[in-house]
Amino acid sequence: MKIDKEKIYDKELFDRLKNSLDLKNEQGIMSSYFKEPIWWVAPGFDKKLPISEAEIIKRCRQMKDYTPLTRSACMKTLLNAFRKAKKSKQVELFKCISGLHGFIYPVVQGNKIYGYIAMCHAEKEIPLQTIGMFIGFVNALVKEIQKELELSKLYQTLRPRAIALSTVHTVHRLISSTLNLDELLPRIARLSLHVVRANRCSIKLVDKAKKVLLPKTTVDLRKKKVRLKKVKVGRHAPGRAFKKSKSIRGKDYLAMPLIDEDVIGVITLYDKVDGKPFDHFDQEIMRTLAEQAVIAIRNAQLYKEQEKLTIGSIKSLATILEARSPGIITPRGSFVRIVLEMGREFKLKMYELKSLQYATLLHDAGEIIVPNEILTKPSKLTGKEFRLVKEHPLRGVKIIKPLKALKGASPVILYHHEKYDGTGYPKGLKGNQIPIGARIMAVVAAFEAMIAKRPYRAKKSIEDAAEEIKRNSGTQFDPKVVDVFLKVIKRKHIRSLLKKEGYGT
Amino acid sequence: MELREQFTSKIHKNIIRFFHENPASVDTPRGIATWINQDLRKVKSALEKLTKAGILIAHKSTSTTGYSYTRNKKIISQIDRLLKKKV
Repeated sequence: MKIDKEKIYDKELFDRLKNSLDLKNEQGIMSSYFKEPIWWVAPGFDKKLPISEAEIIKRCRQMKDYTPLTRSACMKTLLNAFRKAKKSKQVELFKCISGLHGFIYPVVQGNKIYGYIAMCHAEKEIPLQTIGMFIGFVNALVKEIQKELELSKLYQTLRPRAIALSTVHTVHRLISSTLNLDELLPRIARLSLHVVRANRCSIKLVDKAKKVLLPKTTVDLRKKKVRLKKVKVGRHAPGRAFKKSKSIRGKDYLAMPLIDEDVIGVITLYDKVDGKPFDHFDQEIMRTLAEQAVIAIRNAQLYKEQEKLTIGSIKSLATILEARSPGIITPRGSFVRIVLEMGREFKLKMYELKSLQYATLLHDAGEIIVPNEILTKPSKLTGKEFRLVKEHPLRGVKIIKPLKALKGASPVILYHHEKYDGTGYPKGLKGNQIPIGARIMAVVAAFEAMIAKRPYRAKKSIEDAAEEIKRNSGTQFDPKVVDVFLKVIKRKHIRSLLKKEGYGT
Repeated sequence: MELREQFTSKIHKNIIRFFHENPASVDTPRGIATWINQDLRKVKSALEKLTKAGILIAHKSTSTTGYSYTRNKKIISQIDRLLKKKV
């Protein structure tokens, strides 16, 4: 292999020299001085001479003074000169039987002859100085060509590596951009398939007992139906890769363990697009990808756990509030659903929707400071009582302040009693000054208050409550929010959820 | 016919050639602009058009979009013919 590469390199170098415009120009200059000599540029061979008799005959026939008698003498002189040049590795001057001059120059670098540049049929003797200059020129040209070839080789070596590195970096950015495990795992699978050019990818994560790998995602770009199968640790390629904590490569599969402090799962690729077996290069790139994937998966899992903790804390708080004032402070699940669907209509981001969800459960948490007699008072509140109730948004924000995860919910809780026309509380914000989450909450909270059972008024039907909301569009409520609200509550699943929770009956 | 149209633009052709020669590559518009030595804005626009034409696949995330080569054998084979023809 090494020798072949060397031969290819030597051939490439000499071909570039032979085809070089600079060499042709130099030959042209010398030709004009020596009156149309014959030039030979031939690559070197170890055993054979670089030019054939047939070539010599062909060229000599073109000369005016060619005779068959001079042919063999001419050939003999030329071939002798080549042999001498090959042996000495130096320029050889000669004179043929017709009295014409020539030289053979072996293009030598170190001990290696790359080829020969020869000139014959010159009418004048060729001065040594001219030969010297020509040799100097050719040597400089050869060095330049060698540099070009080295640079080209470097480019050919570095470029694919740089492209592969860029791919690894891009994949890292793409998989690190989500903390949603349900989104992350298919993304890892699809990207792996593209990078390794395989047809199917399966990601399995270990369960807590660590005896079985559970299929979390399988992507087959051939659109084949795939069955998600559990795999016991130690069984099949994924199970073996998990057990041994190292990659397993077969003809049509490559299983790579996902290793954090411990092995958390396995990513397995099947069936390369070109039908070839997975190779060492595929293994290397998947190793890098698996290292990135495991970090992204762990981050997503931690995020999910943190979310669960946060929701758990909120639900605990909501339970306490519910115990304090049943049916008044904490809304039912249907309202959380309405709020989230409205948030999606407004294309709120994931973290904004989360904040809205938390805010819905706790928006009236501040009412805990309001005595129950006031909250359940059937008649109109006094000024003092109403002032106390008006404090509840601010109180609510203070209650949730220690929970940093609820920071995004604070503005929704604080401003959910602001009115679109600026006549609300606590700050009298107007229009778009009120955060969108609070504008959504204002509508839904009012709706909930109207259709829920309250000690101080009869509950309304869903239709009547919706009409009331509509009547107050532009004054109490943002008209855009009202439109979205009316659209959402018409949805079948929302209506069934409300009915299930006893509303609208 | 639509595939041939993609070859009328120099940038489109260079992007297609890049992915055809590096089919396992997944890269951002900036990366691709570097590899083919073209203006980033023009490359972004070309990438979107090539994705619509089904020659590339876009992998979108919040921070960036990565592009990879189609896996459609028919398209790849047509592109191979067209690239050899142009050469």
